[in-house]
Amino acid sequence: MGLIALGAAIAVLTGAGAGIGIGIATAKATESIARQPEAKGDIRTALLLGCALAEATAIYGFVIAIMIIGKA
Amino acid sequence: MDNLMEELEAKTAFTIPVFGGIPIAESCVVTWIIMGAIVLLSIILTHKLKKVPTGSQCILEGVMDWLDNFFTGILGPKGKKYLPFLETLIIYIAFANTVGLFGFVPPTKDVNVTAALAGIAIIFVQLSFIIEKGPLKWLKSFLNPINLLDLVTRPLSLCMRLFGNVLGAFVVMELVKKGIAAIGVPVIASAYFDIFDGLLQAYVFVFLTSLYMAEAMEEE
Repeated sequence: MGLIALGAAIAVLTGAGAGIGIGIATAKATESIARQPEAKGDIRTALLLGCALAEATAIYGFVIAIMIIGKA
Repeated sequence: MDNLMEELEAKTAFTIPVFGGIPIAESCVVTWIIMGAIVLLSIILTHKLKKVPTGSQCILEGVMDWLDNFFTGILGPKGKKYLPFLETLIIYIAFANTVGLFGFVPPTKDVNVTAALAGIAIIFVQLSFIIEKGPLKWLKSFLNPINLLDLVTRPLSLCMRLFGNVLGAFVVMELVKKGIAAIGVPVIASAYFDIFDGLLQAYVFVFLTSLYMAEAMEEE
């Protein structure tokens, strides 16, 4: 179990990348809303799309971690 | 720990005793319940519609208006005929993700369900391409190998995103229920994981599907 759990933990580290990515995207989005409040709707749509795509990597890591533990 | 892993498995609710037993998955049974609930809601909400909306009709019209505007905004005016499908998809996924609130297991926690949804979505995207541009152009589009790759990666990412999010929310909620059963904590966790995340993922799934459709339909 020990090494398997470690493997799952390493797989879940993908979350760090997604966190950084979503953080940057949100920072830029708030910046651009502050600059152009009238384009709020478009910016929000683009932000959601970007977040969904960035978050996918974290989710893949999570699914793989669950698979690793489940197969143990 | 073993207890938790057991609950992650897709369970079989019952078996139909014909042809050597057809297993009916739990997600299928919950989907039937959701179908029944949506049909009942539709009948109740569209019963006695008035010219000047009051009460529940206001909410219904508001939601449908928002959905209509949202999808026509992405697909453009000629995407009108695809709206019913996309709206059905978002309503079903929204119900499926939040059904955990009523003590059911979300059907989208089963990877087979999300795979089927992603398959339906990608077939629909290809169909809209064929309808809008003709089968010849559709075949020609595969001269670009990236489009062939998209046929695999897009449904895979749609499927895994929805599955992973719902499974993650489910795991966290199970841990909260077993670990921190203090009054108030599960409520906050449930509000975030069941309602917010569930609705957001329904939105993202259908949003991406409609974006793919808009890309398939756009004129060069």
